[in-house]
Amino acid sequence: MKRIYFIVFALLFYNGINAQEKFLTKEGYVSFFSHSLVEDIKADNNQVLSVIDTVTGKVAIQMLMRSFMFKKALMQEHFNENYVESYKYPKATFSGEISNFSDLNAENDETEIIGTLTLHGEEKEIRTKVQVKIHEEGILLTGDFNVDVADFKIKIPSIVANNIAKTIKVTFELNHKPYK
Amino acid sequence: MGNRTFKIFFGFLLLATLGLVVSIYYYNKPHVDVKKSDASYVLTAQNLIDEYRDSESDTNKKYSETVIQVKGKVFEISTLKGNSVITLKEEGRESSIICHMLPEDNKRTLQFKKGDEINVKGICTGYLMDVIMVRCTLVD
Repeated sequence: MKRIYFIVFALLFYNGINAQEKFLTKEGYVSFFSHSLVEDIKADNNQVLSVIDTVTGKVAIQMLMRSFMFKKALMQEHFNENYVESYKYPKATFSGEISNFSDLNAENDETEIIGTLTLHGEEKEIRTKVQVKIHEEGILLTGDFNVDVADFKIKIPSIVANNIAKTIKVTFELNHKPYK
Repeated sequence: MGNRTFKIFFGFLLLATLGLVVSIYYYNKPHVDVKKSDASYVLTAQNLIDEYRDSESDTNKKYSETVIQVKGKVFEISTLKGNSVITLKEEGRESSIICHMLPEDNKRTLQFKKGDEINVKGICTGYLMDVIMVRCTLVD
């Protein structure tokens, strides 16, 4: 059934009849996780904006740093005020491209996404595996990758250096719907 | 002499315990209770959007991370991971205010329909295509 949907979708798409070129979400999910011997820290953001252009496979993602919710208020405060300096850099962005977007289907839904992540005013190229599920209501992108805190010039005071991992795992789940 | 040593020791112990209690309290301090907090700014949804569109950076410095209260028309009510999301938007406008509600407010949210004018209090986190507010609660 999924396959039929996909074929229908693909036909519509390639014929350009009612073609839906842009898919969007304003409720995408991005989280990060830091594991250290002292403590595990996790933060979730459920207000991520993401747009896919299905003609080119290009993706643009934006998120607010202050939308990352931590379990502990103090951690959230330190994160925004001292580490990512949200007052100066309120957003993180990613702009990139899904490789071989037009070849994807229900059986072959894994590919790579390559682009630039901008965070704390620093840019870094990200190349990571992504699962692209094209379903009747939209396009779901899921995956995870690691970033080094040092790449983004985020200073961690030595007193808490043991509490925060040098490498942070970022997980994303972006369920796009047709953009009207 | 022995009495004095004991007093000093006891004094240190007291200080250390106090320090520990304070730091544990500080480490575990709770998130801002929006329901109990007074809004720093009270404004209409459209005013807030207009301010962001005029000068995003200055407006963000003013409102982000603060408790604000906005009055606007319900455009859409949806749920995300079990929590209500109310979108405040004027007909024909592009930008909206997306209010992610506290779970306690889920039931109360259901009584509203498109076009109703409501007051929402919450923490502003900034502006993407829309203004985003989190930990929101309805105000009568």
